[in-house]
Amino acid sequence: MIGVAGRTYPAVKIEILADRVAEFARAIGVDPRDGVPPTYAAVYSLGVTAPQLFGDDEAAVDFSKLLHAEQEFEWKRQARVGESVVSRGRVASDASRRGMRFVTFETDTTDEDGAPLCRSRTLFVVRS
Amino acid sequence: MPLADPVRGSLMSERRVTFTREQIAAYAEASGDHNPIHLDNDFARSVGLPGVIAHGMLQMGIMATVAAEAAGGPGRLRRLFVRFAGMVVPGDTVTFRAEPAGEGKLDLTAVNQRGEAVLTKAAADYEP
Repeated sequence: MIGVAGRTYPAVKIEILADRVAEFARAIGVDPRDGVPPTYAAVYSLGVTAPQLFGDDEAAVDFSKLLHAEQEFEWKRQARVGESVVSRGRVASDASRRGMRFVTFETDTTDEDGAPLCRSRTLFVVRS
Repeated sequence: MPLADPVRGSLMSERRVTFTREQIAAYAEASGDHNPIHLDNDFARSVGLPGVIAHGMLQMGIMATVAAEAAGGPGRLRRLFVRFAGMVVPGDTVTFRAEPAGEGKLDLTAVNQRGEAVLTKAAADYEP
């Protein structure tokens, strides 16, 4: 297996829509009036970049054997309804140990001014 | 709900959630993560699971909500880390708890009805 550490994916733009945010807030049991829930980054960040990784034939991440092992988000500020953000995914590391593959996948999200909004760091473990 | 901590003069927060298939399905819709391991019992069993399981990101979303409450609002949260350590299935009751761990820091736990941690190494930073 050839690792794909360092690989980057094209930027994806996504608008933070009021209806989607409200639906997400209700699903995790919070009041939509409190604004964009922090882990809505699962949608505007990881949600738009992870499909690029999974769809990358050369990265060859077997989705059926994939475990989401760890997740970290860092936020510069709370995202706002109505803004458009841009997320860029990259494979930070890709290593195999004891028959398991460990892929660290990072996504940087910036706002309309190009200022950092959120960084997502995900550890995926792919079982053999 | 946030509870005053008279010893440390800061807030801790706790939320107890009994997961249901309906909530998991609602999160799948809201997040766009339609992996059948969260929606289809037969499929989940075919890949060795006991049945449908909750999204790790749903657990993290609730954990973030509790952390935000202890931090004084979602806009103050700056970092959240979790390790997905245990499966959560419909009917499981998980107690999510955030406790002060020094200036701008929270220790987080998520423990099911059998006393097993479903999230480990969980921690958050916030803007005091």
